[in-house]
Amino acid sequence: MVKDASAGSTSLVSRPVVIEGEISGDENLHVDGRVKGIIRLTGDLFVGASGAVEAEIDARNIVIQGTVTGKVLARRQFEVQPSGRFNGECTAASYEIREGAVFEGISKMSSSRPQSDKAPLSPDPNLKKKL
Amino acid sequence: MGLFAKEKPRAASPVAGRSDHETSFFGTKLSVKGKVSGGGNLIVMGNLEGEFELQGELVVAPSAVIRGEVKAVTVTVSGSLSGTLTAREKIHLEKSAVVSGRLHAPRLSMVDGASFNGEIEMQKPPESTPPLKGTSRNEAN
Repeated sequence: MVKDASAGSTSLVSRPVVIEGEISGDENLHVDGRVKGIIRLTGDLFVGASGAVEAEIDARNIVIQGTVTGKVLARRQFEVQPSGRFNGECTAASYEIREGAVFEGISKMSSSRPQSDKAPLSPDPNLKKKL
Repeated sequence: MGLFAKEKPRAASPVAGRSDHETSFFGTKLSVKGKVSGGGNLIVMGNLEGEFELQGELVVAPSAVIRGEVKAVTVTVSGSLSGTLTAREKIHLEKSAVVSGRLHAPRLSMVDGASFNGEIEMQKPPESTPPLKGTSRNEAN
């Protein structure tokens, strides 16, 4: 169960688990359960098909198969797979939105301006504008 | 002396063998603040602060640091924990455990070397008390 504890380590929030609060760290995170609050990772965030995340997110790569709502920063890539739903505001260096996926909200490219590794995120997930 | 029966220590890793699907895992470098609830088992290796209510087993690994109120069915501690710990079935403190606070559980075990400062209450919580034979306290139906 304890693999390499270096940067490649992945934590798992399994299906029956609900977390309300702040998750942070130097890890990858796989969410099959529900998370509400703040997620800050130096690694990747993967939201599985049964996962539901309502949070302010800051991660390296973000892959969504389930549901994600909130203000999101993907320092590298933001990907929504066919079963995935995203609702909110997203900033990423690159996007991949597959056919069948739902993306509702605002997308911004982070390459257009200098991006520090820890961009300050305001805790306001309801910043919905019409493009 | 010459007998080499394959004995497996059973208490050490109660989660092994369970379905991985239901076991959550918080790695060494992950810290969680807030409320964690739900079913399944949880292995914690990092930092946790807040309130935890699990319908399963909680394993606190040697590297883990937990502060707050913890409720689970069974809890095995090898790491550091401060706060209130309630287990519906049992609590086990391993040799490397450093625990301070209150423990509530009907069954408790502690390995020599474990550190514990605080209070222990071993009363069974009323809702999980199995019906005793010959008791007239049968409230069901």
